[in-house]
Amino acid sequence: MYAMDKLLSFLRRLVTRRAAQPSPVAKLMAALAMTDEGEIACDEFHALLDQFAEAAKRGEDVRALMPLVQKHLDMCPDCREDFEGLMSMLAA
Amino acid sequence: MTDLRDNDTWLRDLRSEGALREQALADLMALLARQLPYGLSRYIAPSDPHSAALIEEVIQETLMRVLERLDTFEGRSQFTTWVFKIAVHMALNELRRKRWQDVSLDALDNEAENPQPLVEMLATPGATPETTVARQDALERILKLIREELTSRQQAALLAVSFEGVPMEEVARRMNTNRNALYKLIHDARVSLKRRLEQEGLSPEALMEMFSQDG
Repeated sequence: MYAMDKLLSFLRRLVTRRAAQPSPVAKLMAALAMTDEGEIACDEFHALLDQFAEAAKRGEDVRALMPLVQKHLDMCPDCREDFEGLMSMLAA
Repeated sequence: MTDLRDNDTWLRDLRSEGALREQALADLMALLARQLPYGLSRYIAPSDPHSAALIEEVIQETLMRVLERLDTFEGRSQFTTWVFKIAVHMALNELRRKRWQDVSLDALDNEAENPQPLVEMLATPGATPETTVARQDALERILKLIREELTSRQQAALLAVSFEGVPMEEVARRMNTNRNALYKLIHDARVSLKRRLEQEGLSPEALMEMFSQDG
């Protein structure tokens, strides 16, 4: 079982649009390694985002509490931006 | 700013008529005007001349959407968090749309000319470190799987979103679909590929390692 940290940091490079990316095949394999059969899509994520963000802000272990939402965040660049934007607004 | 209304009061005020409702809307508008710039600070500087106009537009649209969808608020979070969620989603979509609308994207705009866009990209010399026989073999196997498992539509979508950093909304628009359906399309593609790899006795993690090493 591969270390989640390594996969996540790999995947973060996959899903961010910033510089210095690993080779395309490596990125694809990282995404496949992270793929689950039962992922939720963007609409369902969006419906749960406010709850999720508040839990995250309270410092709760959202990966454990709302794993499907977290998985979607790991895999979807646009929704990740929505989450980060919302967190910035909540912190302000 | 202290939120003086609890969820029930927000809902009551917004569902009422006259002064109560107007005050609630005004308070929401002020709250959004103050907070939304923070939500967008990674993408647009407050000093940017377009920022004020965008924020103004998004606030108006958000208030309309909030009123339309008031009955869908389930009370699982603070009402203002729910409103912020709507606002930031709308604002980011608008920002992405403006930034990408004039960008030419071959694989998406010329689907007929690119039946295997993902395969083509991965097979491009220099895209992948191919300096060992093991890697060359592995790459050939991966490309074969992609050709067999993914439609050109799936390849184009995956290429655009995961490799070219094109926003999902933009890809969806060009492919005449919506973001939710696009996510499912890409997810199906990932699941198919992963299953095939596993059937062939290949591990995505091991392949990731193999193709991450230098030289």
